[in-house]
Amino acid sequence: MASDNFNFPDKEGFFGEYGGKFVPETLMYALEELENTYNKLKDNKDFIDEFYKDLSAFVGRPSPLYFAQRLTDHYGSGSIWLKREDLNHTGAHKINNTVGQILLAKHMGKKRIIAETGAGQHGVATATVAARLGLECHIYMGAEDVRRQSLNVYRIKLLGAQVHPVDSGSATLKDALNEALRDWVTNVDDTYYIIGSVTGPHPYPMIVRDFNSVVGKEVIEQSKDLFGKMPDAIVACVGGGSNAMGIFHPFIDIKETRLIGVEAGGKGVATGEHAAPLNDGTPGVLHGARSYLMQDEAGQVKDTKSVSAGLDYPGVGPEHSWLKDVGRAEYVAVSDDDALKAFHEVTELEGIMPALETAHAFAYLELLMKELDSSSNVVVNVSGRGDKDINTVAEIDGIKF
Amino acid sequence: MNRLSSKLVELKNTNQKALVAYLVAGDPDLDTTLELMHLFVKSGVDVIEIGVPFTDPIAEGPTIQRAHDRALKNDISLKMILDTVKKFRTVDKETPIVLMGYLNTFISHIDMVKSADSNSVDSILVVDVPGELNLETYGISNPNINTISLISPTTKEERVESIAKNSTGFIYYVNLRGVTGSSNLNIDEIQKNIARIQQYTDLPTMAGFGIKSIEDAKTLAAYSDGIVIGSSIVEMIDEESLTKEFGRIGKYLREMKTAIS
Repeated sequence: MASDNFNFPDKEGFFGEYGGKFVPETLMYALEELENTYNKLKDNKDFIDEFYKDLSAFVGRPSPLYFAQRLTDHYGSGSIWLKREDLNHTGAHKINNTVGQILLAKHMGKKRIIAETGAGQHGVATATVAARLGLECHIYMGAEDVRRQSLNVYRIKLLGAQVHPVDSGSATLKDALNEALRDWVTNVDDTYYIIGSVTGPHPYPMIVRDFNSVVGKEVIEQSKDLFGKMPDAIVACVGGGSNAMGIFHPFIDIKETRLIGVEAGGKGVATGEHAAPLNDGTPGVLHGARSYLMQDEAGQVKDTKSVSAGLDYPGVGPEHSWLKDVGRAEYVAVSDDDALKAFHEVTELEGIMPALETAHAFAYLELLMKELDSSSNVVVNVSGRGDKDINTVAEIDGIKF
Repeated sequence: MNRLSSKLVELKNTNQKALVAYLVAGDPDLDTTLELMHLFVKSGVDVIEIGVPFTDPIAEGPTIQRAHDRALKNDISLKMILDTVKKFRTVDKETPIVLMGYLNTFISHIDMVKSADSNSVDSILVVDVPGELNLETYGISNPNINTISLISPTTKEERVESIAKNSTGFIYYVNLRGVTGSSNLNIDEIQKNIARIQQYTDLPTMAGFGIKSIEDAKTLAAYSDGIVIGSSIVEMIDEESLTKEFGRIGKYLREMKTAIS
């Protein structure tokens, strides 16, 4: 069953030449402590049972694989299936990971939870599980994101967590991560840092991937039931890459399924104003891991541009960099304009309002459905719902409430 | 022997403690950096530590973060920093210079680091590389330049030994759990941990992070081979960046040097 692909990361936390643990010395013991705890628990029956019980009763899993009739008709070829992570409690795939990590925090006896957030979905998902266990919770969020995701900011506050706006640098997700790491260095003894994507130092890319892999595992079973074979392609948006990795990972060995990650093309990859490191970046080290990175020749990290706060990040999870280099996954980019068009289209055709992040994956269907033959089954990972983006979309459409 | 190592041996042999002073290259501009380096030496500084600006300095507190941002507004690159060191060396061939920064800026300039001659920087300290890893793995090696590793209050004993083995300049002991410029020194813990490090290595151990007052400096110098002063200097540089009257910094450093002597 296990192939070479499932042996990554290696002992040092590398996926090929990507990943690793590039952190200040103070955090090394905390990463080791986390890794030891996770390795001890990940195959423990009680731990797995507890995780799946929470996914079922608290999150509402399994999420359906839903046939998108009108979207399929719209493209006139193939069959489009939606993996409904938008139906999860709190509205996105992010909760799968936080439900798992809070169990680790509980086992480690940590009393204080911190997290970074971009679109606010991970902040909400973290504040939610912290509230459920009665733990103190602090969420770091770029000041620019606090502005454009004000609904989620208020949700986080309602859940009893404290939101810390981060003004430094570009005031977006990357800066929120910097600040969360600084908090962790300072409060390392009693604090658990719930990283929200398959990024950061080892063991986070592995842990976040494993908890989110429930999505891909469900898709394997649901595909058998619903159309009797494996999908021809899976499409998912990629910022840090946790929803994509969660659905891709169980499929790495299922070679007949194309894995397609869609990055944020911003104003267009050619303009340089985007957030698409796998399309237009080079390997570098940021936030504890080596991976593709948007950087200049001097090794400084570039500012990013995307209509979607959750994709507005200059790096990407190291396993995606590896999948790109070995050719197992394809990574494309979609512009802000195309993503917004897809947002409206899917909302009107299917009665499902996707998050702006997810809209990037939908936008790629325009090209993909022309390429595939008419018997193809395509799965789109609907990573989250779009309620949080209503203000952004209204502002772009010139509507005032 | 490299300039840094011989300086530290000389201090040890004469029973003196090292004063290491930090600034961020290019804050507010490189001409001022050069002027401040000379002022440091005149004021009793034994080793100059130059911060290499980076967009995402995760180990720095707000004071030094802002200095990195100011330097980056001037597009300061590692090449410009090495050019400034060259200018410094035309006047001062003695004072050891340590570059402190983040891995990504160094791996973007590997050739430059490799080709630096003995009349340039003496040591590199990369904040985000675990101490037991060798910089050579990343192509960062140069016989003229040694490497400094960090050990922190949370470093486990079994790692202290392997980190000490990998360090060639001095051991940088991070005084506290936190970023630069924090203020939660636990003197007993620092004393105990530095003593533990010294069981495993003959290399000098410098205590850095969180040293603000003359009193802190005096206390910590008693347990270590020297101290590193950063945020408080960077703050004064910022306050005087318009007037460029840095007399206060000279006075502060002279007081520090006297306190630890």
